[in-house]
Amino acid sequence: MSEVVLPGQTRGTGAGDAAVVRARGKEDVVVGDEIVRHRLLSRVIHWAVAIFFFVCLLTGLPIWTPLFGWMATFFGGLNVCRWLHPWSGIVFSVFTLAMFVHWFSEMRFVGKDSEFLTPSGMLRYFRYQGEDSEVGKYNGGQKLLFWLASLATLLLLLSGIVMWFPESFGQGLREASYVVHDVAFIGFFAMIIGHIYLGTAAEPGTFGAMTRGTVTPQWARLHHPKWYREVTGGGGRSTR
Amino acid sequence: MNANGLEIRQSSAGVWGSSTGQRKMAVVSKYIDTSTCIGCKACEVACQEWNDLHIVPTVQVGSYQTMPTLDANYWNLIKFREIETDGNFAWLMRKDQCMHCADPGCLKACPAPGAIVQYENGIVDVNPDACIGCKMCETGCPFDVPRYSARTDKMAKCTLCVDRVQVGLEPACVKACPTGCLHFGTKEDMLALADSRVDQLKRSGFQQAGVYDPPGVGGTGVVTVLAHGDHPEWYGLPKDPRVPTGVRFWKNVLRPVGVIAFAAAFFAMVGHYLTFGPKKPKGGGEKPSGEGPV
Repeated sequence: MSEVVLPGQTRGTGAGDAAVVRARGKEDVVVGDEIVRHRLLSRVIHWAVAIFFFVCLLTGLPIWTPLFGWMATFFGGLNVCRWLHPWSGIVFSVFTLAMFVHWFSEMRFVGKDSEFLTPSGMLRYFRYQGEDSEVGKYNGGQKLLFWLASLATLLLLLSGIVMWFPESFGQGLREASYVVHDVAFIGFFAMIIGHIYLGTAAEPGTFGAMTRGTVTPQWARLHHPKWYREVTGGGGRSTR
Repeated sequence: MNANGLEIRQSSAGVWGSSTGQRKMAVVSKYIDTSTCIGCKACEVACQEWNDLHIVPTVQVGSYQTMPTLDANYWNLIKFREIETDGNFAWLMRKDQCMHCADPGCLKACPAPGAIVQYENGIVDVNPDACIGCKMCETGCPFDVPRYSARTDKMAKCTLCVDRVQVGLEPACVKACPTGCLHFGTKEDMLALADSRVDQLKRSGFQQAGVYDPPGVGGTGVVTVLAHGDHPEWYGLPKDPRVPTGVRFWKNVLRPVGVIAFAAAFFAMVGHYLTFGPKKPKGGGEKPSGEGPV
């Protein structure tokens, strides 16, 4: 099989393609000089959620404040946004549900994960302090994002339905929905700004995990040492 | 309606204010004396005719009332109410319509630029071209007036006949009223008229008579005389109407806070990159133990 690691084999000599092929169906495996972090299904779910997040965001912001009214132009005007926003919200919620089912068993807080729940713990991470050799496939911050994104989506969906069909609900619930929808999306978008930054500029090598599906062993050892040990069996030769 | 030639005081979803203050206009108002309304519904018919509204089937609600509530094609509805108090009985009629608030909750809630405007003369108007049919004005209105039409996918409500007013005519309902319970003029004049009518009512034994011009929405463009002024709820009017808290919190607090939060998150990331730089694996040549050449 092409996934067998040959000494001296590097990406670009055939093993790279093998990694992509392997990454279609399986993750947490070493292929050549790469480790498959997210298989095709994981990446498709992630990008479906991401795309519809931005459709919702860009159609919602011009409705939220005229400051972002220019965004409506991309979709053909505010009327289109008003039509597209709730429907894309439904699709977004469906994909988020798929993401929740897909990942929730891996997102339990263990070990020092809960340190991310405090501002000081979060700050330590951003200052590159407090290296933890027990970080598994996902660190506490990623798990926190997963749970908060799921919660925010639930709140956005419920409040969005009230805003979509206001005549079916009472005045108090309608007003509360505006507040809940706003608070949830403001927090959500602020988190996503951080998520995108960490996944691209701040941590080189991370973005490939969601595009090609693979990371380098050095990346894995730095960011997710325990996962690295599990995947490589302590060494780097495993092809499980 | 969006009447041309009228100075706009404020417009929905504007980033900057719309008013130039170039032209001075007196604030106008409709005067409704509920104590002399006989429930003839001439105003309803006049409204339908002048505004060329589609016919809405009437609904029997157990009283003389034409239908349960206002409709996107029925902007003016006489509400009939029967109230029993202390052994007395009151048969109350009130003309339900847009109140043309000085501080309009519909305009505040509206996310579509220019879909709801308030002219310098105080009339609150809808511009169907700009309306996106989101129904947020329904939540913003403390009087439950704006109505969404599924047929047009737009909101509609009373315009105070702005097309008539701007050429010096009185609203169609006022023109049609046979008892003189409706008048139209400057707000100042209508308030004076209302005060004199309240004095008259008090002399006739209605000690609680009063003028309904609620300060919570900055006063309304409809001045209503109530024989039972201490009980506006008997007429179906809210006691202390205000722009809803949720709408004000969204527009006045959450919106600026959110924009600042997005900017703060963005600049925090830029600052982080400049301060700490990217987190790279240490020493490019360092090999994991047991790993082949990389």
